[in-house]
Amino acid sequence: MDRLLELLKDGHARTTLMLASELNTTVTDIGRKLEYLENMGIIKKVSLEEPSCVESCTGCSGCGPRESGKSSKCEGCMPDKEILNMGEMWEVVHHG
Amino acid sequence: MSEIVTIALLGQPNSGKSTLFNTLTGLRQHVGNWPGKTVEKKEGSFSYNGRIYDIEDLPGSYSLSANSDEEVITRDFIASGRADVVCILADSSQLDRSLFMTADYAGINVPCFLVLNMEDVAKEQGKRIDINIIEKNLGIPVVLFSANDKKDYDPFYKVLERAVADKPMINTSILEAGYDKISGYKEIKEMIPEGLIDGYSSMWIAIKALENDPVVMERLRESLDPAKTDRIDSLRDSIQGAVETGGAKFSWIDSVLEGAVSEKTEKITLSRLDRIYTDKTWGKPAVVLTILSGLILSFIPALPLMGVGMAVSALKAPVGKLLFSAGCPEIIISIINSVIIQSFSYIFQMLGFVFGVTLVFGLLEEVGIMARVSYVFDNTMGKLGLQGKSVMPFLISFGCTMGGAAGSRVIDNWGQKVLTIALAWAVPCGAAWSVVPMLSTLFFGPGAVLVIIAILLTMLLHMWITAKVFGRKLITKENRYGMIMEMPPYHKPKWGALLRYVLGRTKDTFVRVTRVVLVVCTLFWLLSYSFVSGSDPVLYRIGMAIEPVTKIFGLNWKLFMAFVASSIGKEGALGVISALFNGGNFYGAFSDAMSGAAVASDLNDTLISNVTKPEALAFIFAITFNMPCVVALAATYQEIHSVKWTAKIAGYYTIGALLLAAIVYHIGILIW
Repeated sequence: MDRLLELLKDGHARTTLMLASELNTTVTDIGRKLEYLENMGIIKKVSLEEPSCVESCTGCSGCGPRESGKSSKCEGCMPDKEILNMGEMWEVVHHG
Repeated sequence: MSEIVTIALLGQPNSGKSTLFNTLTGLRQHVGNWPGKTVEKKEGSFSYNGRIYDIEDLPGSYSLSANSDEEVITRDFIASGRADVVCILADSSQLDRSLFMTADYAGINVPCFLVLNMEDVAKEQGKRIDINIIEKNLGIPVVLFSANDKKDYDPFYKVLERAVADKPMINTSILEAGYDKISGYKEIKEMIPEGLIDGYSSMWIAIKALENDPVVMERLRESLDPAKTDRIDSLRDSIQGAVETGGAKFSWIDSVLEGAVSEKTEKITLSRLDRIYTDKTWGKPAVVLTILSGLILSFIPALPLMGVGMAVSALKAPVGKLLFSAGCPEIIISIINSVIIQSFSYIFQMLGFVFGVTLVFGLLEEVGIMARVSYVFDNTMGKLGLQGKSVMPFLISFGCTMGGAAGSRVIDNWGQKVLTIALAWAVPCGAAWSVVPMLSTLFFGPGAVLVIIAILLTMLLHMWITAKVFGRKLITKENRYGMIMEMPPYHKPKWGALLRYVLGRTKDTFVRVTRVVLVVCTLFWLLSYSFVSGSDPVLYRIGMAIEPVTKIFGLNWKLFMAFVASSIGKEGALGVISALFNGGNFYGAFSDAMSGAAVASDLNDTLISNVTKPEALAFIFAITFNMPCVVALAATYQEIHSVKWTAKIAGYYTIGALLLAAIVYHIGILIW
């Protein structure tokens, strides 16, 4: 798990297959550990369906009304009916 | 046998809790809310072998950490002692993942048993599970069955009765041996006496303290000396504790399952196409080739609409003739021809690009190729604070910046999208590549090659500086972390959905861009129209007034006007130069230039005799790195929905182009 987190934090993109290969384990093992890290708030799944206006969108008029602590669908970030087949993506959000 | 036994159902979402609950209780169930929460509370009862069982369907949650209301409700109910026995459910088709709840439960002092649900799915996957081994390793009754097989619940009832009778607890010796290796665990555990918090062992509390569980930490602060809680805080290292406890739990799960599950060995293999795309040497060239092919292909579906745009432009002459013969005033004819018809000609040509690019790159995304593109270029783009898929708009921008801006819509993060478009503007577009080589050859002969190389190097430098300038506001540090991807499988496109999407986007673009293009074209028309016969147009008077300033950038007023015209479209700059240097009718030259009319035949001689080499070099750099064109400006607004940021980027490029021209001009003076 330590090594997995080190790899995730080194700034390089990797597929789950590559992570499994580098850590000499299985894709299933990587998958369950990513799920754990996600639940602990250490990594975050990139949402391609409902990009958040709250975190990064400061000047976008496409943002709907914001409720505290919740994201709102941002027309400026992702048009409606976007075609999606980008797989699953995660990014490290907790750098401690 | 008359007492009522309370069972709590515990499991992750999709573990089959609801199926089990509904089958056991039938109509004897009640649904409400947990006190003070919006979380659903389901209670029911059933009887078996003369005993009544009350059953509580606890909210589905990944673990027993205090990350959500569901998790806190679940563990509080269990620890309250209201349940005589807890039934933990796990998905037997993915035990190594779904047993995490069991690992997190271990250490809670309430009897329990384990239900390995979805036996049928596991069988379909070719898995064979030996529950005797799992039962021995866990120390609690285990049953393997399928909750949706309502006729075969006997195995479930049998382990339930065993659990009620024996009150078994999970054997935590191996798990704790793993915890012992975690830095700080032993010391924290020693500070926590058994029974400090009802229902939880000191092991469980120590682990949650290491995971920085806020509820547990609050209880510890209420119950322990401040010196001890301070010490616990100092032993806990941000996320490291959670990482290590998670690792220990997964190791324990693996030890519990060792020898108990037989399945086909998972092979780590890549498809042939993915082997090329993810290859360290050939990955990037393969992706670049794919994108360029996509760009070329996007011209095919774009052609019909581009043809419509040209046909609209061709209407100017017959419409003008018709209006003139009808006695229409010249100014009205000019407005209709130069503003309305010309604007719609631009817009239809631009829509051709939007349609083609959206269709081809939507298709690439739909079949799964864009995910590979993102992956291959993530590291390079990461250095600019962008995602891998930003490379696509850059490559498209070599053909058309408007297409590049449209291509940025695959970028989900708004800040990264704005920065991507800002950088895409630095890439010389197809129109620039049609003007720049011609001017370079005219003034510098064979040295034109060096000019082109200088432009490409300047482009890279420009992108780097632009990323630094805008990146600070648009990209937060968190955005720059590495990406983990699970690439989607390749699949056939859904043509209906794809076309609906493309047509929808084209229509939206048409509506939005029409407004912008009409306003800008009207403004330039007004400036270039001579309202009083024999008087100078406003454009000329402005040019003469500002020439002392434009000279600083190496541009006399005529070159500067051409520079301004290049903001509308790069190809227009040449026609404006021709007209101004020949002293022709400004309005006519401008109008012709915007219509894509041929450059005057004597342009070469005119330029060489009137423009010095430093001025020519300054002009080439100025128009290359100026705002690409008005449709790119409109497309940028269309994608980022921000007038403020569209204006910022346009202003930055206009000023940047003039500064570059000044630098190049003064270098040119030193050389020539």
